[in-house]
Amino acid sequence: MSTTGSVSFELRNNLSELATLCEKMEGVGQTLSLSRRCLFEMNLALDELFTNIISYGFRDQSEHFIRVHISADHDVLTVVLEDDGIAFNPIDRIPPEVPCTLDECKVGGLGIHLVKNLMDEVSYERRAGTNVLTLKKSIEKS
Amino acid sequence: MDIVEVKQGGVSTFKLQGRLDSNTSQSFEKRLLDAISDGTKNVIIDFKELDYISSAGLRVILKATKTLKRQDGKIMLCAMQDYVKEVFEIAGFDSFLPIVASLDDAFKAF
Repeated sequence: MSTTGSVSFELRNNLSELATLCEKMEGVGQTLSLSRRCLFEMNLALDELFTNIISYGFRDQSEHFIRVHISADHDVLTVVLEDDGIAFNPIDRIPPEVPCTLDECKVGGLGIHLVKNLMDEVSYERRAGTNVLTLKKSIEKS
Repeated sequence: MDIVEVKQGGVSTFKLQGRLDSNTSQSFEKRLLDAISDGTKNVIIDFKELDYISSAGLRVILKATKTLKRQDGKIMLCAMQDYVKEVFEIAGFDSFLPIVASLDDAFKAF
């Protein structure tokens, strides 16, 4: 993957796969010379969405795979996350009140709030029994 | 993630190293809440060596802050990388959590 190109991989529905995700993203970061901030923000958005999917997406005990497809087209990075969990559109969730006071502050929905703020575009589709989340972000080079 | 806890002059400092995410937040929560239930009232969390935080990490900080407030304690956060600080700002946590530039500045607040 140079300035244009793509990479795909699969993650099992297990929290330990966060380490794999981080490792894969490091590779993408190096190939594209992403700034530390940009790589951090990509990592964080994918972590939040992946953690959400494996926490709420599956009602059985079987192993599932979450597919991640990352492509770069000059200055835009596109990430597509696909899972076969229950239909769930995270974008629809009511965002938390920000800013808030300590007493009012709730943590529910915070992950998605971060994703929406860190990415330039987030979209959701339910396609043939699959949740498809697409993220877009301008590439910031180091 | 590694956590180093240092007690000095009535203040407990937790120095975090590595990644604070869904995998590591539970052990950090336990360390922090155990210290608070053992009587620690003044807490500094030193982010200097922390490379990564997710909402799971924010949740632990929020819980500890609420617990300390009920016990008339105080928490200070310090030495964050700029992109870590940005996460606190987007979450709106900077409106009720004191975030300072250095460990020295954090100590001065007590």
